[in-house]
Amino acid sequence: MTVVEKLRPRARAASTAWFVSPFAVLLAVWLIAIPAFDVSARTFPSAPAVWSAFVDLATDGDLTSHVLTSLGRVFAGAGIAVVVGVPFGLLMGMSAGLSAFFAPLLRFSVALAGIAWIPLATLWLGYGNNAVVFVVFNAVFFAIVYNSMLGVRQTSTSLLRAARSLGASRWRMFWEIYLPGALPNIVTGARVGLGFAWRGLIAAEIIATSTGLGYTLFLARQYYETDVIILMMILIGILWLIMDRLILAPLERRTVQRWSAERRERA
Amino acid sequence: MTMLSVDQLNQVYVDTYTGEATVAIEDVSFDVPEGQFVSVIGPSGCGKTTVLNIVAGFVDATGGTVRLQGSPVSGPGPDRGVVFQDFALFPWKTVEANIAFGLKTQGVGKVERRAKAQEMIDLVGLTGFEKKYPHELSGGMRQRAGVARVLATEPAIMLMDEPFASVDAQTRRVLQQEVLRIWEQRRTTVLFVTHDVDEAVFMSDRVVVLSPRPSTVRADLSIQIPRPRSWTDMHTNTEFVRIRRELMTMLGVETGVETGSRSAP
Ligand SMILES: Nc1ncnc2c1ncn2[C@@H]1O[C@H](COP(=O)(O)OP(=O)(O)OP(=O)(O)O)[C@@H](O)[C@H]1O
Ligand SMILES: [Mg+2]
Repeated sequence: MTVVEKLRPRARAASTAWFVSPFAVLLAVWLIAIPAFDVSARTFPSAPAVWSAFVDLATDGDLTSHVLTSLGRVFAGAGIAVVVGVPFGLLMGMSAGLSAFFAPLLRFSVALAGIAWIPLATLWLGYGNNAVVFVVFNAVFFAIVYNSMLGVRQTSTSLLRAARSLGASRWRMFWEIYLPGALPNIVTGARVGLGFAWRGLIAAEIIATSTGLGYTLFLARQYYETDVIILMMILIGILWLIMDRLILAPLERRTVQRWSAERRERA
Repeated sequence: MTMLSVDQLNQVYVDTYTGEATVAIEDVSFDVPEGQFVSVIGPSGCGKTTVLNIVAGFVDATGGTVRLQGSPVSGPGPDRGVVFQDFALFPWKTVEANIAFGLKTQGVGKVERRAKAQEMIDLVGLTGFEKKYPHELSGGMRQRAGVARVLATEPAIMLMDEPFASVDAQTRRVLQQEVLRIWEQRRTTVLFVTHDVDEAVFMSDRVVVLSPRPSTVRADLSIQIPRPRSWTDMHTNTEFVRIRRELMTMLGVETGVETGSRSAP
């Protein structure tokens, strides 16, 4: 026990180092290559230029509001998708009839999820927050539904039999067996879905609003501000990583990994 | 009183792909009186699991009836507690929550549930492991929890399908004695499926022998070894040796070689 506890911070530091190292290498290459090959700022910005774009945007206050706006939209859209999609997916997994009916529709919609809905979203909801949130929701929903359904299907027969023979009602089965049983897959779905959420967000913000990171990213193109473009791309990447680390990874640790040693090794 | 009565059970499986029909169970009938420990034994693939799954209500029989205390059963229910070969403990629940689950579905209040679960935990020797998750337990401990979970709700009959097949030989012996110790305290009616002759003879009041597939009841032997039983003196027990030999011959196992190579634990 104590040995494990002692090893832990070291192991964590090592894994952080491994995670950061490719970015460090990339940064080094960037710092060296731009002056070495005399790349023009219109083609690709230098690292110091991106840094000063960051400082400028951060100090004049706009950056924070763009970040918060975009984060809010992702949370709203993805949140609704989870709240609606998880029960829907679980029910589909539990009922052969439901899944037979909805599966073709789901399959049909995969290629259309998210971005393809932007035109209709703006017609229905106008330009602004609602249309973006709808597109994000739409992009996430299918990944969540599909993975929740898969999670139910992968729950072992003997667990289901055990619960039934212990007298569990459908309602109890749903909350205490199917939901936790499907949780590993639901987390996977949320992870995939959040990736879709950011992509949907960027596309929707470009078209449907005048705030947010995606909007700023696209607007910068008009003024050839490659430093702002790259800055926005970096920020979106970082925000996604933070969400993954702060929300999904702890959720996974507290549930799936707590329940099973094997799953941790498999993951 | 007859607790369980299995009458002219017949099971045909149809392969959904080829359409080919397999007669797993031809015609199986037997009764289990209240408080008896009955084993079903037979060659691999003869339909032992099928019989148990039908009694449990997991599989619908193509013919025949299963009655529990006189009324026909359909579908799974808490009157028949099942102990699974793969334990089937809920990985997301602690040992305590697993054991209390059946009580929860019956609407037993929290305090009473706790007390009852603790009683079962102490009974099966898992004291101190209440807050552990199943993956933190050894195979033997998991199956103790599996037994406790079933006994907590006091089912009319306990069904066990090769419950000790997933643990090592040493642990298996210990668990067999443990389950007998618990059983002797409670005298729950037990239907026990195994392909291990020693296990069947050691544990049971009666052994029902099935023929190879398509199966019928080939023999029904009563075992008069006094209880409490323990492995220490079993191999010198004349009754044990006699019935064991009889079963071995019936199942076509070379008795001479087997008996000669065996050493008492
Ligand atoms: N769901 C199923 N679909 C088709 N055939 C099945 C099914 N379940 C069992 N069978 C067949 O029925 C026969 C009996 O199977 P069963 O599992 O009941 O035997 P068993 O006596 O428990 O065997 P073992 O000793 O190996 O556990 C076998 O031939 C098996 O292939
Ligand atoms: Mg079997």
